Amino acid sequence: MVASRSVLWLAVALIAWEALDRALHDSVLVAGPIAILGHLMDNAGLLARATAETARNAVLGFLWGNLAAAALAALVVVVPRLERVVSALALLLFSLPLIATGPILRVLFGPGNGPQVTLAALAVYYTTFLALLVGLRAVSQSWTDLMAIYGRGRWSTLLRIRARASLPYLVIGLQIAAPAAFLGAMIGEFTGAERGLGVLTLRAMRGLETEATWALAVLSAGTAMAAYGAIGWLGGRALGYVPVILLSASRPRASRSFAARLIEAAGIALLVVALWQVAMDAFDLNRFFAKRPGDVLTFLATPANRQTLLAALGETIAFTIPGYVAGLVMGAGLAALLVLSPPLERATMPIAVALRAVPIIATAPLLVLAFGRGFTGTMVIVAVMIFFPTLVACLQGLRQAPGQIVDLFGLYSASRWHLLRSVRIPAMLPAFFASARMAVPAALLAVTTAEWLATGRGIGVLMAMTASTSDYNMLWSCVAALGLVAAAFFAAVALVERAVLARYAPEQLA
Amino acid sequence: MARPVALDTGGAAIRCEAVTKSFGKVAAVASITVTLAAGRTTALVGPSGCGKSTILRMIAGLEAPDSGTILLGSDPPKAVARRGGLAMAFQDPSLLPWRDVRANVALGAELARKPADAVDTLIELVGLGGFAGHRPAELSGGMRQRAAIARSLVSAPEILLLDEPFGAVDAMTRSRLNAELPPLWRDRGTTAVLVTHSVEEAVVLSDRVLVLSDRPARIVADIAIDLAPDQRGHDTQAVRALAQDVFSTLELKD
Ligand SMILES: Nc1ncnc2c1ncn2[C@@H]1O[C@H](COP(=O)(O)OP(=O)(O)OP(=O)(O)O)[C@@H](O)[C@H]1O
Ligand SMILES: [Mg+2]
Repeated sequence: MVASRSVLWLAVALIAWEALDRALHDSVLVAGPIAILGHLMDNAGLLARATAETARNAVLGFLWGNLAAAALAALVVVVPRLERVVSALALLLFSLPLIATGPILRVLFGPGNGPQVTLAALAVYYTTFLALLVGLRAVSQSWTDLMAIYGRGRWSTLLRIRARASLPYLVIGLQIAAPAAFLGAMIGEFTGAERGLGVLTLRAMRGLETEATWALAVLSAGTAMAAYGAIGWLGGRALGYVPVILLSASRPRASRSFAARLIEAAGIALLVVALWQVAMDAFDLNRFFAKRPGDVLTFLATPANRQTLLAALGETIAFTIPGYVAGLVMGAGLAALLVLSPPLERATMPIAVALRAVPIIATAPLLVLAFGRGFTGTMVIVAVMIFFPTLVACLQGLRQAPGQIVDLFGLYSASRWHLLRSVRIPAMLPAFFASARMAVPAALLAVTTAEWLATGRGIGVLMAMTASTSDYNMLWSCVAALGLVAAAFFAAVALVERAVLARYAPEQLA
Repeated sequence: MARPVALDTGGAAIRCEAVTKSFGKVAAVASITVTLAAGRTTALVGPSGCGKSTILRMIAGLEAPDSGTILLGSDPPKAVARRGGLAMAFQDPSLLPWRDVRANVALGAELARKPADAVDTLIELVGLGGFAGHRPAELSGGMRQRAAIARSLVSAPEILLLDEPFGAVDAMTRSRLNAELPPLWRDRGTTAVLVTHSVEEAVVLSDRVLVLSDRPARIVADIAIDLAPDQRGHDTQAVRALAQDVFSTLELKD
């Protein structure tokens, strides 16, 4: 019944799409399903080889990234004292846009699939880490007591109890990781690979080949979504159920004073600089392209260099913030509207969940076609990247409005608006801010990708240029600057979050 | 390296010396000094929330006393735990939801590094014969408790701690288990401590009943139960008389 209705909707959508294509005859914007299918069939061999190449890199990165995530999560659970530092470093690394790390990895690795695999791993490890952190702790005290009664310690508990209890959460993490790995591999291919869907996408975009661009978008989105669906299905089959959780960087605790947080941030910054230096030295990397913190400082001491960097950064930030805000507001707004109509909400949720899995890299070229290479195009790319995860998270948050309170309001026949304002929205706020936090890396990735692909301005392009002219001082400065921007962005979101929660949902701050 | 001679499974005495425990401002246990004889079963009774579980958890090494010492034989609890000599049936059965009954019971032997040959017999004995392949979610509360009891017995521990093990078990099954289970640990010489809300059950199952005060727990009465095995039934004259004794001390402190 549900399945047949979905098929019906799909058919309607396809026909409308085809009709749109016919109506916009000769436009460079849209390719219809029939044209796309034609392109896919005509180039089946090439596309199959490219898909296989990208998928292979994505799978390798998926494995490495998730392995790293599991190791980090296990470490943090066994040695809880490490949590804050490990989480902060993991988040910072995750916040560096792949477009920024890609060129650096390319010079470190040289030709081959090293950057593709590494970027795929970088794209997945953080969400899996978060999911496992929740999962490994989804353990009742009576189980750990049981282990202690038999003299078994933390490691034994980790292996026998926590690892098994975390499996449903691992499935969620892996599900989200699958399209992300695909995205990482494609961005890796942008940085100078010979084969793969990323290479073809770039070529089609630059040649303004509408059909090819659409066909590649459909192919990569379809592959990523299929992986997402397959993992969910397998996990559901194997475990019986998959819980609903929101994956987000944890909120900085409110009880801590501003000074304490400042000291902690400074400590983490120092640690990052030290790690950077030590890693470069330990592997004895060539000073020509593997710049140290000192090199960057010296480089930025020259005013001209600083101005170039700041100008590009300023442009990027000006492009990011409107898209970021628009994506969040539209996601949350639609969620709030949908909850007023439960049937509509039930219909939207699966679509939103599915679209959340589409890698931005697949749709960005289409959005550029549609909205142009300027401000609008970039903003839309950023907004779309954030919109779907926010919508899904907020719908989940809204569903968690405690049933009893909602019933009570029903009893007094409060209006839906009143219910929305005084019960549901406060219930949604934590989910909203959770997505606001996770949207920071997403926005930075989207904006730099858009700049790199299309707009020709901002720090994304600066990095692309410096990579091709071997101006590695500037490249590393850009990466460092983006790290700082990400940290500042997070701090700003945390500040707003605390202020809003204090006003509208003070119980959440406790 | 020469292997040590296999330990007699026989229990060790439990010695509590001036043991106290508070949780923040809540004093749960006020200086308890008592020795529970090796191979005997002692019942703890007292009002709800008085600190019975806390005492059991300290004997098990799950909580450290604020002051005082607890020795099992000559060893601290954690040392006994490490050699697989401890077992406990918790107030909440704490079965692993992804294991079936058989695997949950076997877990007790697995964790204690003991052979698992008694698993099926024990499952039979606690009346779960037909449910060995069922997951905890498919069992009633009482059935889960019975599985947890089987798990605590399967490793033939030196020290057995039972925290209201029959709380959710129906009255009929309960009186059957009251009759059939104790020989399993008594005959091996296990030292057992049992917490129960049923005074009659305390009398039927134990050699000694310690009556605890309201929180913070102190021992207000110490009643020896000298009953021959055939006198240990729920409706015998002797049991009723002793239960009356225990009741009177319970009421005293109110
Ligand atoms: N982990 C803990 N943290 C804080 N307080 C605790 C903790 N464990 C027990 N308490 C407090 O210590 C007191 C004794 O608790 P305990 O569980 O030992 O009682 P009990 O006699 O087993 O009660 P019941 O018969 O209801 O099981 C209670 O007031 C309880 O609130
Ligand atoms: Mg208790």
